[in-house]
Amino acid sequence: MYRNGFSLLFFGLTFLATIVLYGNSDERGPRDVFVDLILADKSEQSALIEEMNEFGDPIIAKIYEDWRRGKIFSLETEASKEIIYIDERNNCYSLLTGEVLEYSEETRENFNKERIARALRKQFKGLIDTLGLKSINAKTRIKSAIKLGRSQKAEYIEPLEKRLAIEENAKVKAAIDEALAINLLKNGNETQRLESVNRLAELKSIAAKDFIEKILAREIDAGKSNEPLALACSASILTIESHIRVIEFFGSFFRGLSTGSVLLIVSFGLAITFGLMGVINMAHGEFVAIGGYTTFLVQNVFISIWGIDHPMFGWYFLVAFPVSFIVAALIGIVVEKGVIRFLYRRPLESLLCTWGLSMMMQQGFRLIFGAANVQVNNPSWLMGSLNFGGFSMSFTRLLIVALAILVVFLTWALLQKTNLGLHIRAVMQNRNMASSLGIPVSKVNSMTFSLGCGLAALGGAALSQIGNVGPSMGQAYIVDSFMVVVIGSVGNLIGAGLSAMGIGMVDQLLQPYLGPVMGKITVFFIIILFLQWKPGGIFPTKSRSLDD
Amino acid sequence: MKNLKKLTISCIAGLFLSFSSLFAGDEDSVKVGILHSLSGTMAISETSLRDVLLFTIDEINKSGGVLGKQIEAVQADGASDWPMFAEKSEQLLAQDECAAVFGCWTSVSRKYALPVFEKYNGLLFYPVQYEGEEESPNIFYTAEAVGQQAIPAVDYLLNEGYTKFYLIGTDYVYPQTTNIVLFEYLLSKGIPVENIGGGIRYEGDVAVSAGNYTPFGHTDFQQIVAEITDFAASGDACVINTINGDANVPFFKEIAASGLTSDDCPIVSFSLSEDEFRSLPTKDLVGHLGCWTYFMSIDSKANKKFIKSFNKWLKKSAPDYVQKEGRVTCSPMVLSYNGVYLWKAAVEAAGTFEVDAVIAALESGISFDGPGGTVTTQANHHVTKNVFIGETLEDGQFEILEVMENVYGEPWLKGTF
Repeated sequence: MYRNGFSLLFFGLTFLATIVLYGNSDERGPRDVFVDLILADKSEQSALIEEMNEFGDPIIAKIYEDWRRGKIFSLETEASKEIIYIDERNNCYSLLTGEVLEYSEETRENFNKERIARALRKQFKGLIDTLGLKSINAKTRIKSAIKLGRSQKAEYIEPLEKRLAIEENAKVKAAIDEALAINLLKNGNETQRLESVNRLAELKSIAAKDFIEKILAREIDAGKSNEPLALACSASILTIESHIRVIEFFGSFFRGLSTGSVLLIVSFGLAITFGLMGVINMAHGEFVAIGGYTTFLVQNVFISIWGIDHPMFGWYFLVAFPVSFIVAALIGIVVEKGVIRFLYRRPLESLLCTWGLSMMMQQGFRLIFGAANVQVNNPSWLMGSLNFGGFSMSFTRLLIVALAILVVFLTWALLQKTNLGLHIRAVMQNRNMASSLGIPVSKVNSMTFSLGCGLAALGGAALSQIGNVGPSMGQAYIVDSFMVVVIGSVGNLIGAGLSAMGIGMVDQLLQPYLGPVMGKITVFFIIILFLQWKPGGIFPTKSRSLDD
Repeated sequence: MKNLKKLTISCIAGLFLSFSSLFAGDEDSVKVGILHSLSGTMAISETSLRDVLLFTIDEINKSGGVLGKQIEAVQADGASDWPMFAEKSEQLLAQDECAAVFGCWTSVSRKYALPVFEKYNGLLFYPVQYEGEEESPNIFYTAEAVGQQAIPAVDYLLNEGYTKFYLIGTDYVYPQTTNIVLFEYLLSKGIPVENIGGGIRYEGDVAVSAGNYTPFGHTDFQQIVAEITDFAASGDACVINTINGDANVPFFKEIAASGLTSDDCPIVSFSLSEDEFRSLPTKDLVGHLGCWTYFMSIDSKANKKFIKSFNKWLKKSAPDYVQKEGRVTCSPMVLSYNGVYLWKAAVEAAGTFEVDAVIAALESGISFDGPGGTVTTQANHHVTKNVFIGETLEDGQFEILEVMENVYGEPWLKGTF
């Protein structure tokens, strides 16, 4: 009895499921509408877009994106027209069913790329944006909300309100709140608009500033400059502007720190080879380039082992640091043994000699890697930025700041806390005296020079993330490096650190007012004045030597 | 007799002065010059044009030459050294007596070559997008004038509904001139001054400079990108980028790191073509726009044939010094190609290699069906051609968004809006 009942129930359920499934496959889905849309005339498109609007399926965004990027093709046969999607690996799929399709090379020649007309793209934009509000990805929801707000279209108020009611993520909620307020600035009634203006001032919305300014201008034109709306507008513009100023200040501060760190990291090696050892090393920039090229090679090794999409790929960058240091340090030893050691007492010859060396190394890069720049990809974990309150710091920049601090700390520890450091300091103060006290001077010299070269390459590895890697990349930094070392007093590492940070800060604080070109010129001018005032740099060395 | 004398003289001159003019006396050949930087900083871009010119000349020679004569290419290296372009022009015109010269990339190199061409009544075909404001009787500009690149791009963006424009470029003549023309154009289209970003410098009441400028090889774009982010915060903003060369890499890396996508704020670049993408991180550029009179992705029979025969030439008959791997085609290359064919057609129309007659033929309007569509010479020494707007894809190609057909080349745009 029970058994019968169960089997009956089971049968019934299967039957129902079949009906539902059958019904589903018969019903039009987004794929059907896409195929129709691709084949449709202009006049039919609007109706189909309307139909698409009903679905809210994330696949719409994906197919649309592929269509826009030229991955949708059509193949005309006598009987019908097949719409085909081709993925990155060159596999063909039927757009209608998602099934894999096999085509020979000759058939593929007859594929026609389906382009999306501009009018249609515009209609899709709104559709995709509202779709984004339903995405599972919080970032997509925020982006979509911002867009719907900025468009100031009345039809978006409803989806925004709906989403706000069910949204759980606080950040997304804030974004929707802001978007709704911006939208109501235009579409709300008088009280709603007033509320929105106040709300946006509370939120310190930078995005809203332009819109509020427009309202204010209109109110003033209409002679209502003393009405509550206009007053609220002026107040909220003031709040937002002071907020922008705060962000600008912290922004410039951080950018100065970051520019200073870049300067520090490329010039710290020079602070050792030029500052401590007194070698005017014009090839310093090329050791920076060695760091960049080593990073490029390490990246290629990772790509050949794991491929660019593998999660392991991202870690190439961490491996690149020690490898760059070691490669450049080894080359540094060779250069010291081969050239530099003959020139310790002849600084002018060392200038000419290392300049020649720098040209040889540049040509070497051209011969090995080609004249064009090489591409170094950013690891995915370094993409993006840290945001708080409208002020953002990119991860690459943060990493460089951290690296600069680390390099300064390690070098300080090496020089002050180790035996080798003691020897280095002794040799740099007086080679003859150190030698007579039994310190292996020639060994210490090579070690110091290779340390300087290794540090230069660390800088190059870090720079590969924010700039070019090419044969002449070192040339862009050589003047800055010497500038940092001279300002910071030759031979003083703390001075080099301070001067790098100082130059970075001055540069970034001046740039908003003077622009990059005049800013740079002004920085040079300030440096000239500074050296007039303090010819020995920040910390001039006090010495009893007759030369100084 | 006179001919024989001329022949011996040129033979001797050739022997002494230039290796390439060794065979100068050949009755059945005509010499044309290729004047590009084959060394120095510009070599990366300009050697591609040299290559495509050699290919074009081979192609024409194989199909019977011009007026029954084979073309002989004389290469001159401008070495990225601008006065050198004047020197080499003189050599090509006075010594080698080239019937036409194809070359120059930077505007400054053209400005150096110009007086030499006017002095010797030579004929130069110039193939790279430039700022306009020039019309020499001895130069034909197959290049995109501002009205064939910057203006259509801005038109497209205006049509898309963008209302805020941020101008940024490298500090030299091409970006400065282009941006001031664009500034005037945007104002004429009803864009208010406060919606044009990057800063405007006035002398009295006249705007003399619009946009933000960086030195060549600038590396630190933090401040500028922060400005752009603020500028784009209220939406409907785009960036017009005339930064030249590899300074684009730190710029686009900074943009990518700031989280600003092509969706929020598209960047349209005028100096980045497929050839430049070979050494740029295209990942950071995906979705941003380009505007040229040719894209490698143009889906036409003529273009497919062009790419196919160029690749075949690279594989089979290119000289050893031509790089053969990973080559692409781009607008300056195709405009060089078109230049040679326009010259050929004009010579055939005139029935002589005489420069004055050829220029007259060109001025009367010569057409050629090139890989980017039909191009027609105009009386003002510019060329009517199609303009394409495209979106950058991950593989360094452009997806074409819009085609503007037969756009007239007008060099004098400053102060006309």
